[in-house]
Amino acid sequence: MDTADLEAKVIAFIASKVENIDISAITTASKFEELGFDSLDTVQLLFDAEDTFGVSFDGEEVKGLRSVGDIIDYIGKHPPTDAV
Amino acid sequence: MRVVVTGMGIISPIGTSTDQFWNAAINGVSGIVSIQCFDASNLHSRIAGEISGFTPSAFLSAKQLDQTDRFTQLALYAANQAVEDAGGLDGYDPRRLAVSLGSGMGGFATFESSAVRKLQNKSIPPFSVPRIMANSAAAWIATKHGLKGANLTCSTACSSGANAIGMALDLLRTGKADAVVAGGAEACVLPLTMAGFEALYALSSGFNDDPARASRPFAKGRDGFVMGEGAGILILEKEEEAQRRGAKIYARLAGYGCACDATHIVAPDRDGQVAAMQAALDDAGMTPDQVDYINAHATSTPLGDVVETKAIKQLFGERAPEIAISATKSMIGHSIGASAAIGSIATIMSLHTGTIHPTINLDEADPECDLNYTPNHAIQKKIQTGVCNAFGFGGNNASVVFTTL
Repeated sequence: MDTADLEAKVIAFIASKVENIDISAITTASKFEELGFDSLDTVQLLFDAEDTFGVSFDGEEVKGLRSVGDIIDYIGKHPPTDAV
Repeated sequence: MRVVVTGMGIISPIGTSTDQFWNAAINGVSGIVSIQCFDASNLHSRIAGEISGFTPSAFLSAKQLDQTDRFTQLALYAANQAVEDAGGLDGYDPRRLAVSLGSGMGGFATFESSAVRKLQNKSIPPFSVPRIMANSAAAWIATKHGLKGANLTCSTACSSGANAIGMALDLLRTGKADAVVAGGAEACVLPLTMAGFEALYALSSGFNDDPARASRPFAKGRDGFVMGEGAGILILEKEEEAQRRGAKIYARLAGYGCACDATHIVAPDRDGQVAAMQAALDDAGMTPDQVDYINAHATSTPLGDVVETKAIKQLFGERAPEIAISATKSMIGHSIGASAAIGSIATIMSLHTGTIHPTINLDEADPECDLNYTPNHAIQKKIQTGVCNAFGFGGNNASVVFTTL
């Protein structure tokens, strides 16, 4: 999957988790809190993303994920462990 | 002080509203089907009273779906109906509105799926614990409806729903609440839970090819209970408050009794069952000769139905054959902690409509089960007093008494 593909898929995935949002309003710069996710919502989002993208969000690095772009970068750096 | 039922809500394998459920029940419709929600091919019991077409996304957001187990979703669906049926509870101080809910297994769908993931070294949903905990459904009902008084959950296996309704009666009588959302919810048509009951030889295994005939309380050849799921919710209020606000009143909740066998963790005990029924009638200030209907616990196990028959004979004596009895589980299977709440709704509807629903699949009764179980066809009978029985693992026995006004 190239970066543009991954970016589109992550944005579509996040759009599916937010009530009443226009997908064009989500960019790589969008922060989770700006999209209405509190800290627990973000944990749930990353959990759901694990199955969708076949990656495992664990370790200290995950605590620094703040934005849509951070997720895309993380997935790019961590090849799928269990493609779904 | 008198307590009355002013609202009801239900979701069951034969109906997702009180009217739909009751219409199916009086027509003897079976809701038992081959299991659809998981691959049951390696189980001996491959049938269940499964609710199909339930779409919680119709009333819960994506976020709320992530945070709730199926048993909570069923409970919320029934509670929403019940509150609406009661005309809303907005006239009460929120701190005087309580919830008393029963569930035998709680969020076991989440437990099972999270356990599988953990054993595969995968991460588990962050809301696993708040989905699994038994009080999750009661908490969500409170949150959705702004009920800020007592919020209790009772887990006494198959008697949970009856105990929860009884606890609600106690809350109202002791002045700890003005109205209570009470009942039970269960969603355990699940591989591990069913394998567990199977290991005890509690489930029916001989009717996989003919599911509608599998749940056959009191019948010759019955071979165990059929797993079910669902939720039943009552709105209970003090009679004078209900009248003051002009609420419609279905019936009166007159008494509640419970007793523990203190003999065996799973085997039923006649004395405990008699004690619970007697205690409920004492609590109602009534005598056995006033009872004209019993919604039996009657799960369709070879032993349980005989013991309940003997208990009814012991308490009601020569009058026992005159009492109309019916087994709701013959149509919907055994929904564990929800079963007595659903049985209570059947009892209330019998009082309210003058129709007794049948016990289906009762073509030939077990010779040891020789009472009037309303076989196969509904009957018309004006009744004044109905008892709903619930007997659960742990030696828990609970009975609730409903009357006309």
